[in-house]
Amino acid sequence: MNPTGGFVLPVILALPLLGALFVMLTPRGEGTIARGVGLVVSTATFVMSLLVLRYFDGKAAGYQLTTDAVWVKSLGIHMKLGVDGISLWLVLLTTFLTPLTLLAATKSIEKHVREFVAAFLVLETGMLGAFVSLDLFVFYVFWEVMLIPMYLMIGIWGGQRRLYASIKFVLYTMVGSLLMLVAIFYLYVQHGQVTGIYTTELTHITATGQTLGLAHLVLPHDAQVWCFAAFALAFAIKIPLFPLHTWLPDAHVEAPTPGSVILAGVLLKLGIYGFIRLAMPLFPHGAAVLAPYISILAVIGIVYGAVVAFAQDDVKKLVAYSSVSHLGFCALGLFSLTVSGIEGSIYAMLSHGLTTGGLFLGIGMLYERRHTRRLAEYGGIWKQMPVFSGLYLIIVMGSAGLPGLSGFVGEFLSLFGTFNAADTFPSNWPHYLPSPRLLAAIATTGVILGAIYLLFMFQKVFFGPLDKGKNGHLPDVSIREKAVLLPLVVLIFVLGFFPRPFLAKMEPSVKAFIADYHKKLAEPDGPARIMSAEGSPTAIKAKLEGAAAKLDAAAARMGGNAGGQP
Amino acid sequence: MNFATGDALYIAPILILALAGLLLVLAEAFYTGKDRTALAGLAVAGGVAAAVASIALYRHMDPGTHRYLYGEMLVADRTGYALSALLSVVIALAALVAPAHMRAHDWAIGEYFGILLLAGTGMLMLAHASHLATVFLGVETMSIGVYVMTALRRRSRRGNEAAMKYFLMGAFATGFLLYGMALVYGATGTTSLVAVRERLASGNLALLTVGTFMMVAAFAFKVAAVPFHMWAPDAYEGAPTPVTAFMAAAVKVAAVAAMIRVFGQFLGGEKLPYGTLGWASPMVVLAAITITVGNIAAIRQDNVKRMLAYSSISHGGVLLVGLCAMGLGSPSGQSALVYYLIAYALTTMGAFAVVSYVGSKQNERLGIDDWAGLASKHPAAALAMTVCLLSLGGMPPTGGFFAKWYVFKSAMDAQDQQLLWVTIIGVVNSAVSIFYYLKLVTAMYFKDATGEFTPSRSAGLTFTMALCAVVVLAMGLFPTTWLGFGG
Repeated sequence: MNPTGGFVLPVILALPLLGALFVMLTPRGEGTIARGVGLVVSTATFVMSLLVLRYFDGKAAGYQLTTDAVWVKSLGIHMKLGVDGISLWLVLLTTFLTPLTLLAATKSIEKHVREFVAAFLVLETGMLGAFVSLDLFVFYVFWEVMLIPMYLMIGIWGGQRRLYASIKFVLYTMVGSLLMLVAIFYLYVQHGQVTGIYTTELTHITATGQTLGLAHLVLPHDAQVWCFAAFALAFAIKIPLFPLHTWLPDAHVEAPTPGSVILAGVLLKLGIYGFIRLAMPLFPHGAAVLAPYISILAVIGIVYGAVVAFAQDDVKKLVAYSSVSHLGFCALGLFSLTVSGIEGSIYAMLSHGLTTGGLFLGIGMLYERRHTRRLAEYGGIWKQMPVFSGLYLIIVMGSAGLPGLSGFVGEFLSLFGTFNAADTFPSNWPHYLPSPRLLAAIATTGVILGAIYLLFMFQKVFFGPLDKGKNGHLPDVSIREKAVLLPLVVLIFVLGFFPRPFLAKMEPSVKAFIADYHKKLAEPDGPARIMSAEGSPTAIKAKLEGAAAKLDAAAARMGGNAGGQP
Repeated sequence: MNFATGDALYIAPILILALAGLLLVLAEAFYTGKDRTALAGLAVAGGVAAAVASIALYRHMDPGTHRYLYGEMLVADRTGYALSALLSVVIALAALVAPAHMRAHDWAIGEYFGILLLAGTGMLMLAHASHLATVFLGVETMSIGVYVMTALRRRSRRGNEAAMKYFLMGAFATGFLLYGMALVYGATGTTSLVAVRERLASGNLALLTVGTFMMVAAFAFKVAAVPFHMWAPDAYEGAPTPVTAFMAAAVKVAAVAAMIRVFGQFLGGEKLPYGTLGWASPMVVLAAITITVGNIAAIRQDNVKRMLAYSSISHGGVLLVGLCAMGLGSPSGQSALVYYLIAYALTTMGAFAVVSYVGSKQNERLGIDDWAGLASKHPAAALAMTVCLLSLGGMPPTGGFFAKWYVFKSAMDAQDQQLLWVTIIGVVNSAVSIFYYLKLVTAMYFKDATGEFTPSRSAGLTFTMALCAVVVLAMGLFPTTWLGFGG
């Protein structure tokens, strides 16, 4: 418990929500006022979120800046918030991208500006809430609350096929999350029946100092597999893992630029984050059983996304498929369950948030000038917009994973971790599946393919002859657009050159995550029970019995020897 | 049977409604003014008075205690008064939304208000019933009133057809109910549910089983559970919208309230007292079919009232899940049901109030496409409708979400394999339901208006829409207070 700084998280959750209410009170049709309010509120949220860094102890594992308020007493639901090294940077990424995106949305959103800003701010609260909630119920509420503003964003401000895309987006996400809800019920009721205390908190300290909570409950092995599968479906759709990705290209193409930025920049990360924070710690046995298959799907996604991206003529679709490929790296690194793999996974998420956010913002700027997203319509833009082209080149290179830029660090660490996973996954990796090493090798081709399609795209748009008439008189980036792109470019450099401070803050939490995971995985199969700090009595007993058996065997061998030479 | 005068205090809400209803019938007869909608005031006052009395009695009763009235005819407890208060509020709201619709569609019939309150009397009786006779009396008082209300628009062919269908099938269900009661009486030798509970173990198993199954079928008709639901979409579509709102909200609440009494409290228990052939097994199956069929049928509807009718059918299925959980000994089953009923009734009331608001004399606007662009013309109504639809779909942060969570949690708590499966079916169906609820949201927000809206405005309608939307949100954000009502 860190009493100082506990106020920060509630404040950054409440600010956008209050801002949304306030925006709805501004006069109708006065877009500038609504935008101004939105910018001020989201910037204030970002500044407040920097306080998280100030209070955060980078050397400690576990949750910090925690607050706890009872929400529904009779159901044991707590509004419990906190960050650790895993969620810290994702929170900052969210608060950082929101004002930039609102600033960029000046031209692309022209109707119902007030409602747009309000929806956007509600979305921010939803995303932040999902990242910082330490109560499964509260997490689920925020997870669902995000859906509605995003649905409205695609449906109201989207492109031609927005109705189809918006419904597809909602249905895909809902189907996944509802099965997760069933697993949550199961977990919740099991906990209630085992301990007599119904709570949805991950960690619940009773009045007598006993540590309970869903994170400390060990389920029977087959139940773990089912529950993990249910959670995994929800998160895999969100990531999205191949073959559940088909909603993403539609959603991206139809969403307005700000929607795409937030969708790619933050929403997709919630899938990976859900795995780290919930699915894997809650059901380690399930994770161990299904990890090989998820890793394989991730690798298929990496290669498939890259190949399909190459074939696209629509820039937005290209970047959408590139997201499928990049998020594959995140999933792969995570399921390697090595320190470097998981750190790489988180780092790749940060980098993807910045670079893909930047890619979409840039596409939006081009679209506002030319009103097309077809690659074939562009060419020779560099001559017209040199500053923009230079900035965009850096973003593209960052996304492609050029060393020295942000994308490289994350992907390298993920692959490195996966390559080494063979040492941490010796027993339960089925022999008939490709080994982690082979998977890492295949995934590496994704990096090369990524460079190919991104550079190909860059070449088609910015180089070549300026032969399309409409491209002749495009103004270069305005001051406002520079203000949007520059912070991204700077951060892409910073993350590329100085990964150490970022990684250092993650490391204790990642190590604790792995240690907890293995401790819980070591629990033998059996009825649902609470795991004590040093492992459950049955686990200790099993360990002792194992040791005794070894002693017996040794004694028998010695006895045998003794018997052999009378 | 001794008529203790002290007991009269405990049935004050029922008496108030009955008196107000009779007064309204008289007033209607002697009323000389042209505008019959003026009678709404008295009806609203009656409903509010009954609600106030219910709340006062709710506070008067100590939690966990109950008191039998008139020799086990009725039972007074907190759950009963919570449901009475809910029913009275719904009755008041049904009276409040009616005048605007009457004026817009030329059916200013004064009897509506009198029948509304008298049917309500039967409903309140069901919430307190602890005797097969009062159950029957309540069901019939309620049903006959609602049959008449469905047919109030005499010149509407759809209305007449709907009422006829409703009445014929209702009469059939009454037969089932009576026969079931007779068999239970045959098995136990008593019609007092309190005594029936005591004699369950010694009663004739075959008679009891057949009897309870028949009663399940009869109530399945009243809550429109598949396959006894055929009347619902037609009746909902054919009846005037305020009547539809009343049917969807209040009739379902009253029927489930009666089931809580009959099946949950008196024929249920730790494990069903008469072996595996308990009523819960068929009811679980009914619940699963009802949820699924209701939702799938709703997808195909392009009439808002029919869509809401099928949605209400599937909600009936969820309520049956809660009943099974309660019957199989889940400790939180009853409070889950009461919370669900409050959330469901107010949400439905709000949704139909918006339906009533949007329509006008020239165009009743019942097609989903007719709602296109409502958000840009009448943002407040669209917002209220969206809140109600999200609540019906079980999306946070609305009361509907908590209600689903609570019912399914209590179902899992019963530790029964069948209930686990029906929970999975129910939760997956929520995704299906989101699809058709969002169809309407999509029309309101994403499509452009085809013509001018000329809504039927009235202060009562606006108040109802606002109240329901706000309460539904409050139930989601601050559920603690509301969770306590179930006892």
